[in-house]
Amino acid sequence: MLGKQMMCGAALLLMAGQARAETIEDKVAVCAGCHGEAGKPIDKTIPTIWGQQAGYLYIQLRDFKRGDRKSEIMQPIATQFERDDMLAIAEYFSQKPWPDLGQPRAPKDVAAKALSASASVGCPACHLDRFQGDGTVPRLAGMGRDYLAKTIADFRTRARGNNPGMSDLMIATSPDDLAALVEYLAGL
Amino acid sequence: MYVKGLAAFAAAVGVGLLSGAAIAQEVKQEKQSVLGNANVPPVTQEQLNAADKNAKDFLLTNGNYAQTRFYPGKQISRDNVKNLHVAWIFQTDVKESLETSPIVVDGVMYVTTSFSHVYALDAKTGQQLWHYAHKMGPITVYCCGPNNRGVQVLGDRVYLATLDSKLMALNAKTGEVVWTTNIADPELGYSETMAPTVVKDKVLIGTNGGEYGIRGFVRAYDAKTGKQLWNFNTIPENSVGVWATKDATGRDMHRNIQAEKDMLAKIGDPYAKLGGGVWQNPSVDLATNRIYFVVGNPSPDLDGSNRPGDNLYTNSLVSLDLDTGKYVCHFQYIAHDVWDLDAVSPTVLVDVKDKGGKTIPGVIHAGKTGHIYVHDRKDCSLIRFSEAMVPQENMWVLPTKEGARMLPGANGGVEWSPIATDPGQELAYAINLHQPMTYHVESTAYPNGKLWLGGAFKVIPSEKQSGNITAVNYNTGKIKWQVKTPEPMIGGILATAGGLVFTGEGNGKFAAYNSSSGKELWSFRAGAGVNAPPSSYMVGGKQYVVVGAGGNVQLDFKRGNNIIAFTLD
Repeated sequence: MLGKQMMCGAALLLMAGQARAETIEDKVAVCAGCHGEAGKPIDKTIPTIWGQQAGYLYIQLRDFKRGDRKSEIMQPIATQFERDDMLAIAEYFSQKPWPDLGQPRAPKDVAAKALSASASVGCPACHLDRFQGDGTVPRLAGMGRDYLAKTIADFRTRARGNNPGMSDLMIATSPDDLAALVEYLAGL
Repeated sequence: MYVKGLAAFAAAVGVGLLSGAAIAQEVKQEKQSVLGNANVPPVTQEQLNAADKNAKDFLLTNGNYAQTRFYPGKQISRDNVKNLHVAWIFQTDVKESLETSPIVVDGVMYVTTSFSHVYALDAKTGQQLWHYAHKMGPITVYCCGPNNRGVQVLGDRVYLATLDSKLMALNAKTGEVVWTTNIADPELGYSETMAPTVVKDKVLIGTNGGEYGIRGFVRAYDAKTGKQLWNFNTIPENSVGVWATKDATGRDMHRNIQAEKDMLAKIGDPYAKLGGGVWQNPSVDLATNRIYFVVGNPSPDLDGSNRPGDNLYTNSLVSLDLDTGKYVCHFQYIAHDVWDLDAVSPTVLVDVKDKGGKTIPGVIHAGKTGHIYVHDRKDCSLIRFSEAMVPQENMWVLPTKEGARMLPGANGGVEWSPIATDPGQELAYAINLHQPMTYHVESTAYPNGKLWLGGAFKVIPSEKQSGNITAVNYNTGKIKWQVKTPEPMIGGILATAGGLVFTGEGNGKFAAYNSSSGKELWSFRAGAGVNAPPSSYMVGGKQYVVVGAGGNVQLDFKRGNNIIAFTLD
C-alpha cells in the first residue's frame, strides 16, 4: 500500500504542471495518478470520484484550496484552480460511470444494524434514498470500504474539518454502528 | 427545521441486487422539458381573493389566502365516500419525496416533484400537458430532502421556487420560462422548497437554510418582472429580545442568562448567521393588508453557546405589512431554542374566541411542540394553546454530549405539514409525529455554509414510534378526537364541506374520516408513502380528490412517483 501511495505522490509531482493546461482532459490528467485511469482508485484509502456528485466534488476542491480540508497531496493541486476550473472538473468526473469496486454485500444482520444507525441520525435526509447523494452531498453507495472507514474516523476526531455537522452526527453514533455502516455502504 | 429518519429496512436492503448506475437513474431521472399547450384561462386576483368559496378550482397552496385547507364542495360526502375510486394515476419522472399541493385552474392541474420539476396535467384524465424539468445548478444545499411543495398561478404565469434558490415564472399554457431571478447563494446554505404565494402582483417567498447559518428572510418580488420589491430579515440586527426564561406555555427553558449576557458582551449580537428559515407560505389577511408566517430554528440547531439572546424572530409568529414588508408584530414560542422544536407548519387565519369569549380575527399555528397556538391577529398575542397532541416528557432538558432524552423528538409534534380547519365546527385538524429522541450538543464555529447542527438528534431505536390525526377545538383548546396511526405522520390534511378530512400515511394508506368524530369511512393503499397535502376540485360536474404518493425522504418512507386522483361514479 505504501508503495502505491509513493507512486501516486511521485506521479503528482510530475504531472502537477498540467493543472494549468487548456483542455479539461489536460486539467484532469493529474487526477488519474491516484484516482485511477478507469475510475478505480489505485489505493483503497483514496475516494472514488468517477460518477460522484458534481456539487460535492466542487466543494471539496474549493475546501482543499481554502485549507478547510487538509491534504498534502490535494491542497497544492487545488490551489492551482480557479472556481470555473473546479466546476468544470467536478462536472467532468460526475459524468463518468461509477466504477464497480467488487466489494461484497453486507450480511443481513450487519445491514440491519447499519440501517438502524442510519435511521437514528437521519442519513437519508441528505444522502437520499439508497445513499446516492445529490448536489453537494456525496454518493456513498459502493464507495471504497477503507476510504469510508478512514473518513468516518476523521470526522469523529474532526481531523476532517470541513463539515462539522457530519462530525457531530458521527460523534453521536457508536463505533460499532459506524463499522456496520461502512460495511453496508461499501457493499451497495 | 431538521429531520431524522426511520428505517425502511426491506426496501433498502434489496437495493444491493441492483447495479449502481441503474439505481442512480431510477432515483433521479435527468429529463428534458417538454413544452405543451394547456388550454387554461388567466387567473385573476379576484379569483384568488375568492378562492375560499370556489369549489371548482384549488387555486392556492392551502386552498385560500387564509390557508384553511377547507374545501367548500360537498359532492363527496360522509354518505358516499365509501364509493370513492381511482379516476387516474399520473407517474412523474422523478421517484423521490412528493410534498406537492396540487393547484387546479379550470381543469388544468399543476404539480411539482423533488428536484423542482413542474407538470401541467389534464385534471380530468391525468394526461400530461407539459413538463418543466429544471436544470439544477451544481450547488444545492438542503437539510431535509430535495423537496418542492408546489407552485402558484396568477395571470398566465406559474411561479416556482427551485432547490438551487431561484424564483421562476413559467408560461402557464406552455411551460416556457418567462423570467428567472436568483434569490440567494446556495453555496452559503440557501435553498427553496416552499411554494410561493402570489398576491397583488407580488410573489412572496421565504428561504430554507436554518441548518447552515444563513440569515433568513421573506421577500416580495414583482410578479411581472421578477424584480425584488422588499426584503424582511427574519433575524433583526438586534436579535437579543427580552431574555425570556419560559416558553409560550409557561415552562422553564433552563437558560443560563448570565452566561449568555457574558457571551453577548464578548461577541456582540449574533444576527448575521442566526438562521431563521421560513418553510411554508404566509397567510394573507386581505382586509388589513397583512401577512402572517412562522420563522424556523436558530443556527446552529442544538448549540446555543455562541448565539446569546432570544434569537429573534426564530421560532416565532411574525406579521408584516404586505405592501412594504414592514414589521407589524411577532410572538416567540421558544426563545433561544436548542431543540429544533421550531415553527414550520403554515399559519391559518380564522375567527376565534378571545379570552373573554368575544369573536375576533385570529391566527393559529400548530407547533412541533404538539400544541396548537391561537393568537389575536391584531397584535400577535397568544390567546390560548391546545392540549398537547403528543406525549411530552422531560421538557425542557438541555442537550448534553452524551444525549438527553426528551419528548417530543425534534420532528414534532407537527412538522411542516399544513393543518386544516373547519370553521363551522371550530375545529383544527393536525397530523402529528411521536418519535422519542435524545438531544446531543457539540460546539463548533460557523462552517462557511456547511451543515451546522451544533450536535445531533437521535431517534431511540428501542422506543416505539407512532403518529396521530387530531381534531382540536381552537376556541377551547380541547382535543375533540384523535386517531392513532402506526407510524409518525408527515404530509398534510384537507377538510371538506362534505364533512370529511383526507390524509395519508407513510405506509401508503390514504383515508377519509368523519370530520366530527374521526371515524374512518374509506381508505386506499397507494403503494408508496402518501406524505403530501391533498387538494380537491371539480371538473365536468364531478368532484375529485388528488394527492401525491411519493414517500418521504425525511422519515425514509417508501418512495414513489404517483399523483393519484379519486372520484365517485
